[in-house]
Amino acid sequence: MKALKYALVVVVTLLFFFPIYWVFTMAFKPFPEWTAAAGKVYWFPNHPTLDNFRAIFSQKLEMSPIAGTAIRPIVNSLFVSIAGTAIAMAVGIFAAYGISRYKAGGSLPFMLLQLRMFPPIAIIIPIMIMWAFLRMIDTWFGLVVIYGVVTLPFAVWLMKTFFDDIPRELDEAAIVDGCSNMKAFFQVVLPLAKGGIASSALFVFILNWSDFLIALILTDRKWITIPVHISKLQSAMVGALYGPKAALGMIGAVPPIVFGILIQKYLVRGLTFGAIKK
Amino acid sequence: VLKKQIALEERRGNDVAKLGFLLTLPAQVMLLFIVIFPLLASIYLSLTEWSPLSGGGTKWFQAYRFWGWLANYWNILRDHDFLMSIVRTFVIVAVVVPVEFFIGLGLAFLFRDNFAGKKIFHSVILMPMMIVPAVAGFTFYMLFQGQGPVNSALSAVAFRDVSILWLQGQASAMIAIMIADIWQWAPFMFLILLSGLMALPEDQINAALILGASKWQRFRLVLFPLMKPIIVISLIFRGMEAVKIFDAIWLMTTGGPGTVTESISVYMYKHGFRHLKWSWVASGGVIVLILITLISMQALKPIKEQEEKT
Repeated sequence: MKALKYALVVVVTLLFFFPIYWVFTMAFKPFPEWTAAAGKVYWFPNHPTLDNFRAIFSQKLEMSPIAGTAIRPIVNSLFVSIAGTAIAMAVGIFAAYGISRYKAGGSLPFMLLQLRMFPPIAIIIPIMIMWAFLRMIDTWFGLVVIYGVVTLPFAVWLMKTFFDDIPRELDEAAIVDGCSNMKAFFQVVLPLAKGGIASSALFVFILNWSDFLIALILTDRKWITIPVHISKLQSAMVGALYGPKAALGMIGAVPPIVFGILIQKYLVRGLTFGAIKK
Repeated sequence: VLKKQIALEERRGNDVAKLGFLLTLPAQVMLLFIVIFPLLASIYLSLTEWSPLSGGGTKWFQAYRFWGWLANYWNILRDHDFLMSIVRTFVIVAVVVPVEFFIGLGLAFLFRDNFAGKKIFHSVILMPMMIVPAVAGFTFYMLFQGQGPVNSALSAVAFRDVSILWLQGQASAMIAIMIADIWQWAPFMFLILLSGLMALPEDQINAALILGASKWQRFRLVLFPLMKPIIVISLIFRGMEAVKIFDAIWLMTTGGPGTVTESISVYMYKHGFRHLKWSWVASGGVIVLILITLISMQALKPIKEQEEKT
């Protein structure tokens, strides 16, 4: 029975791992091994190569993509995700503290949850009009602002649970001892919440980094992100560029996997808006 | 203690309410900015028949020149593709969420015991959840090609040549899309349910064991009632995200062949950005918002109750 269970665990894990294995190895496969056109599926790269990575970073190679190099999208993704996270966290931390300690904000927390439920596509056209009006289409701040708003619900709810975990008595004692309300927040509560802030920020970063739809709509040429670039990678010579797409996909997949494993302990809390604290 | 309380009140001053207001102000403003304007603009546009292509470059605020009252609503509610995209989205949710739940639950039970390499297995199973959804979509696009590894593996198992054109038929494409979603999000269920299982009080389960409860009885009478809040929350949050499905479909089939795998988001994206029917999409957006609000008000109830208890 025990051996059977163990075998089941191994099989299921392998099944879950296979698609990841497939993109990651595809990234190192030369063109003839991308598909089974020759009648045979290549389960692992027979002639591993870095050509796919070269292709996405250059424009000279024969199979170089129409969409241009991937350097800009990678930098964009990094910059926009980090800045969006900073906005969500900066606004979220204060709101969460207000909600946690002063019961402020009224229905704000649930408005935020509700916001999270709407498919973004349902209000994206007016947002696009608004962005066009403010000349924010295909700009970094246009994306950063919307990322900040879209991930704000997570930042607020997550930080609220971390503040709730810190005993009130601590900041109250500081206030009794002569701190101002805000000084107690900055000097007592905030340092204690450092771990919570770091994990919330990583969590929000993963969400921003993973976005596809918003960047697809609100960017055009200059500020496209990694997922948008992947969807556009085509070549006039060979059609769908499996290898280069996989190479860029792999580059895009690594940061969230690393961060996700770092904050494994808090993933449940994050994904359920703190409803389950573990 | 009372003295301390009074000292605290005194030190805090009278502007505690004001401070709370100021702390939450930026969040409120952002919410207004991103919800109220788009909402009003959506309603306004939905009542017109304007599109960016209409009448010599009229701007959106001049859309009243193409005023159409409820024409968009009347037409979109009779649009087969729109209605089907809603039905299809809810079919996807109704299939993937329970399947993800049961896979997650099964895995969680397997991971309750200790075994060699548990940590590694645990991390590997969580990986799909962290893959960028667009990358996951592209991966499954490759896997489900006619000459892809899925058919090849099926051929090996079936001892005959399997060459299903997965993404070219409606039923098979829907299955492929659902498999991609299940692969990505069953780990989410697993993670939540495992944390729930691990947090269960040992003594209650042991007591049931001593009293001679069968496995099924232990599950139904002890585990299930204790797990219920977590189960409800996991289903709500997964369902809530699943309704938005876009990335995987867009990269696997772009809603095709034709329109037969379009979800709500894919339908709206196509009509908004390929056909530029903005007022049409605005009316669709308003309908979807009403629908989702009605559902989410029900769905969020248990969470509200839990929040009020604490």
